[in-house]
Amino acid sequence: MIILKDIERYYSNGAQRTWVLRKINFTVKKGEFVTIMGPSGSGKSTLLNIIGMLDKPDSGEYFFLDEPVHNFNEKRRTELHKHTIGFVFQAYHLIDELNVYENIEMPLLYRGVSKSERQSMVADMLDRFNIVGKKDLFPSQLSGGQQQLVGIARAIVAKPKLLLADEPTGNLHTSQGEMTMDLLRTLHGEGMTVIQVTHNEKFAAYGTRVIQIEDGFVRSDSNV
Amino acid sequence: MFQNNLKIVWRTLRKNSTYSLINVVGLAIGMAAVLLIYRIVDFELGFNKNFENYDRIVRVVRHDRNAEGENWTTCMPLPAANAVEQAVPQFEEFSRSRDAWPTLTVPDPNGGAPLKKFNQPDDMVSFFVEPAYLKIFKLKLLEGDPNTALRDNGSVILTKKWAEKCFGDAHAAMSQTVIMDNLVTLTVRGVMAEMPANCDFPIGCLISYATLEANSRNYFYGEDNWGACSSNNQAFALLKSADQLTAANEVVRTVGEKEYKMEGGLENEQKVHELQPLSDLHYNAELYNPTGRIVTKNRLRILSFIGLLVLAMACFNFINLSTAQATQRAKEVGVRKTLGVSKGQLIGQFMGETATVTVISVLLGLTLAVLCLPLLKLISDVPADAPFVMLLQTWGFIAAMAVAVTLLAGFYPSIVLAGFDPIEALKTNTMSRLTAGSFLMKKQGLVREGLVVLQFAIASAFIVGTIVTLSQLEYIRQKDLGFDKNLVYSFNFNSDSASMAKMPVLRQQLLQLPAVESVSLCSDQPSSGNTWANNFAFPASGEDAPFNVSLKYADASYQKTYGLRLVAGKWLEPSDTLKEVVVNQTLLRKLGISNPDEVVGQELRIGSRRKVRISGVVEDFHSHSIHQPLEPMLIGSRKIYYNWAGIKIKPDNLAATTAAIQKAYDEVYPEQVFSGSFFDETIAQFYEDEKRFSNTCKGFGLLAVFIACLGLFGLSIHAASRRTKEIGVRKVLGASISSITGLLARDFLKLVLISLVVGFPIAWYFMDKWLADFTFHVDMNWAVFAIAGFAAMAVAFLTISFQSVKAALANPVKSLRSE
Ligand SMILES: Nc1ncnc2c1ncn2[C@@H]1O[C@H](COP(=O)(O)OP(=O)(O)O)[C@@H](O)[C@H]1O
Ligand SMILES: [Mg+2]
Repeated sequence: MIILKDIERYYSNGAQRTWVLRKINFTVKKGEFVTIMGPSGSGKSTLLNIIGMLDKPDSGEYFFLDEPVHNFNEKRRTELHKHTIGFVFQAYHLIDELNVYENIEMPLLYRGVSKSERQSMVADMLDRFNIVGKKDLFPSQLSGGQQQLVGIARAIVAKPKLLLADEPTGNLHTSQGEMTMDLLRTLHGEGMTVIQVTHNEKFAAYGTRVIQIEDGFVRSDSNV
Repeated sequence: MFQNNLKIVWRTLRKNSTYSLINVVGLAIGMAAVLLIYRIVDFELGFNKNFENYDRIVRVVRHDRNAEGENWTTCMPLPAANAVEQAVPQFEEFSRSRDAWPTLTVPDPNGGAPLKKFNQPDDMVSFFVEPAYLKIFKLKLLEGDPNTALRDNGSVILTKKWAEKCFGDAHAAMSQTVIMDNLVTLTVRGVMAEMPANCDFPIGCLISYATLEANSRNYFYGEDNWGACSSNNQAFALLKSADQLTAANEVVRTVGEKEYKMEGGLENEQKVHELQPLSDLHYNAELYNPTGRIVTKNRLRILSFIGLLVLAMACFNFINLSTAQATQRAKEVGVRKTLGVSKGQLIGQFMGETATVTVISVLLGLTLAVLCLPLLKLISDVPADAPFVMLLQTWGFIAAMAVAVTLLAGFYPSIVLAGFDPIEALKTNTMSRLTAGSFLMKKQGLVREGLVVLQFAIASAFIVGTIVTLSQLEYIRQKDLGFDKNLVYSFNFNSDSASMAKMPVLRQQLLQLPAVESVSLCSDQPSSGNTWANNFAFPASGEDAPFNVSLKYADASYQKTYGLRLVAGKWLEPSDTLKEVVVNQTLLRKLGISNPDEVVGQELRIGSRRKVRISGVVEDFHSHSIHQPLEPMLIGSRKIYYNWAGIKIKPDNLAATTAAIQKAYDEVYPEQVFSGSFFDETIAQFYEDEKRFSNTCKGFGLLAVFIACLGLFGLSIHAASRRTKEIGVRKVLGASISSITGLLARDFLKLVLISLVVGFPIAWYFMDKWLADFTFHVDMNWAVFAIAGFAAMAVAFLTISFQSVKAALANPVKSLRSE
C-alpha cells in the first residue's frame, strides 16, 4: 500500500541544513498495524506527515496504492484526504465550536453524504464508542479520553483505508490509553491499515510491526 | 455543509462576543453612513429628472469675458431672446421666463380688505412664462386648457395647494380672481400639481408672460437694448432631439456677435450665448438658479468619498480583528485540511462568515440610517419624509454594498486563514509557535499596524476639518462686520406710488411703539446678496474711475438703525432725493486717498451726469458674505428706490414686538401681505452651506473617530490577552501597574503618532483650499494641529488604557497558572 524510497527531509536555516529524515526506505502492506518509535525530535511526526501527504519530502519517491505521490497535485491529495486517509492527533484537535455529533459528522459533509446516511453513520459511531449520551456536549465538556474517542470516531467515520495516529495516547492516563489502543486494534482487526507513533513500549505491542527511528534514520524494523 | 458552517459562524460570533460586537457595530455604522450619503447623492442626482424631456431641455445662458476675467450669467436681454428664438432651427419650442416671488391675495368682491393673503413660501418660485413653457416641461394641468391657460394678459396657473388655500379646491379655483403683489389682477386659468422635492422648478404659480409685458413698469422689465441684463430674465427651449445640442449651440453662439459690440460694451469684451442642458442646471455653481440650491458634482464626490472612507475604516476593523484572531482558528483550518478540504473551500467558508456578519450589520445599519434620516437636514436639502426604504433601488444599492463590504473585509483574512499550513497549525504547541513571530505573523502584524495608521490618519484629518470649519464659523459669528446685525427686524414693501405714499404713516406708527428705537427705509440692508454697481468719477469733473462703485439708497436713520460708524464728516440729512452721499473707506483706498477728512464737502459724479456732495466717510462694512472682498460703496438718499424697512428694537419680548410691527403694517396696508425677518438670521443664511459642511465634518468625523477607537479597543484586548503571561511574569518580578499599562499603550500610541504625520498634511491641503474660498478667514496655525493631535492621542489613550489597566490589574498567579 505504501512504498517509501530514499525519502529525505531537511529544514534550511540560512545556508545551514538540518536533516530530519534520511534515506527512509520501507513498505507497508495493506492490513498492517505499524508502530513508529523513537526519541523526541527524531522525525517521527515528520515521517507520519509525509505519509499522510500533509508534508512533502525534499527528495525520494513515495507510492501510495501504486500511485506516485510525489507527482500528485493538490486536487488529488485532497481527494485522498477525503476518502482514504484518516488522522488522529495527540491533542485530539476537535473543533471547539461544534458538539460531539457535529464533529463526527464533519468529514461526511465534505464527502457530500446525504443527510439520512450521515445520521445513520454518525449514530453507528456514537453507538460503537458508547458516547450516545454525549452527542450534544462540546469538546470542553469532555475528558481527554472521551475527546480522543471522538477524535478517532471522526477519523474513521468516513471509512478510510489508512489511519494515521500521532501519539494518540500521549495526553491520556493509562486506562484511557489502553481503551484507545484496544480501539485501534479492533479497527485493525476489521482490515484497516494503521500507522501509529508512540513512546509507550506496551502500546507498541498492540501493533504487528515496530519501526525504530533515530536522528532521521531507520534503526530497526521488526515484526512483533 | 452550509448549515454546519452557519453553526460555526454563529457559535464563533458568540464565543468572541466582544470582537463580534465591535465588528457588527463598526460595520453597521459605516454602512449607515454610506446609506445616508447615498440618500443625499441619489436625491441630488435625481434633480429635474421628473421632466420627461430631461435631455432635450436647455437654458440659454451667456458667457462674458473681458480684461477682468470671465463670468457666466443666465440673463437674456430682450433683443437677445428674440434673436435666439428666430435663429435656432433645432428648437421645437421656446419660452422666455422671468422669476417672481409674488404675494397673492383673494379680493373681497364687496371691496373690503382681502379675504385671504399669502406670501409665497420661501422654498417656492413663480415664473412669468409663455405658453410654450408647458410644452417644454410637459406640465400637465389638473384643470384648464394648456393651449389657452397662459395666452392672455392676466392669466395664472396655480398649483393645487395654492388653489386649495385660496378657494377650497382646484375646480372651484377656475376663473376666480387673485391679486398679485397688490398690483396686478389675475384670473385663474389652470391648476397644476405640485413639483417634486428634487426639482429646481418648485413652481408656486405660472403667470402669463403677457402679464409681465403689460406691467413692465412695476416689474422693472422691458428695456429693449442689448446692454440691459437681469439674471431673472431667462429663456428655455426644447430641442427637437437630444443629439442636436451641439448643432444648436453653434447657431446660438453667433447671436449678438455684432450687437453686443455696438451697444457700449467695455474694450475687448466678448459676450457669447451658450445652451446649458437641463442636466447641468443643478450642479453648475457658475450659473444662477432661482432656488439657490446648487450642489456641485465635486461636492457630491467629496461626500461620497467621505462615506467610503468611513465604511473602509469599519472594514479595516474587521480585517484587523479577524487576522488577530486567526491563530485561534488555526486548529480548525488544520483539521479541515486533513479532512480533504481545499483552500478554495476554506476561503469560501470564511467569506461566508464575513457575509453573515455583513448581513447582520446591514440590517442594523439600515435601522440606524432610517433613524438618522431626519438628521440629514443638517447637511443637505433631503426631505425627511421622501420614500427611501421602500424603494427597490435602495435595496439594490444595499445588496451591492453588502457584496462590496464582504469582499473588502473578508478577502484578506480569508486568504490568511485558508493559507495556514496544517502541520504548523496542528503542532501541539500551535499557539506559541504561531504567535512567536513567524514570517506570516509578522506580515499580518504589519498589515494591521498599517491599517490602524490609516484609520487614525483619516480620523485625525476629520478632527482637523471639524476644528477648522468650526473656528471659521465662530469667526464669522464674532466678526465685526462693520454694522450691528442684532435686534434689527426688517420687512420689504411694495414700491409703487400708492404704497410709498402711505409709508410715512406706517413709519410714524412704528416709532410710537415703545420697543422700537429707530426705523430706516432703504433700497437694501447693509449686507445682502444684491449688488447695484455704477460708474462714477472723483473729483466730479474728472474722468470715470477705473472701477465701478456699489450703490445703496438709504435714509437718515440708516446709520443709527444698523450701527454704522463714521470716520469723517456727518451722516446724510433727511432728504427724498439724492443730494449728498456717504462713501466708504475702501473707495478712498482705491482712489489713493489716505485722509478721509480731505473728501468731506467735495463733489463726485455718479453715472454720466449726476453730481453729489460727500457728507461723510463710513467705516468699511461687509456688504456681502465674507467670501467676497470689501467693495467701494456710496450711500445716498433716494426715496423712490426704497423697498426695505429696518427696525431697531429693544431686546425684551421680541415676539410681542414683532407682532406689534406686523399689526401696524396690516393696519396701514390691509390689502398687502407682511413678511418680516431678523437681520442676523438673514445673514446667517449666507453661511448655510458652510454650516452644512462643518456639520458633515463633525458628524462623519465623530463616526470616523468612533470606528477607529472601536478597532483600537479590539486590538488592545487582543494584545493584552496575548501578553497575559508576560504581564504575569513582569508583575511577579515587581513591575508597577503604570509601567505595565504604559508597556501596552506605547505600541499603539506610536501608531497613532505616525498617523498624525500622515493625516495632517492631507487635512492641511483640503482645509487650506476650503478657507481660500473666503476672502476673510481664520489662519490654520500650529494650534489647530496641536489640539487635533492632542485630541486624537487622548481618545486613543483612553481607549487603550481601559484594557491595559485591566490587564495590569489582573492577578498574576491566575494568569500564570492557566498556562
Ligand atoms: N518547521 C520546522 N522548522 C525547523 N525545524 C523543524 C520544523 N518542524 C520540525 N522541525 C524539527 O524537526 C525535527 C523532527 O521533528 P518531529 O518530526 O516533530 O519529531 P518527533 O515527532 O519525532 O518528536 C525536530 O528536531 C524539530 O525541531
Ligand atoms: Mg512528534
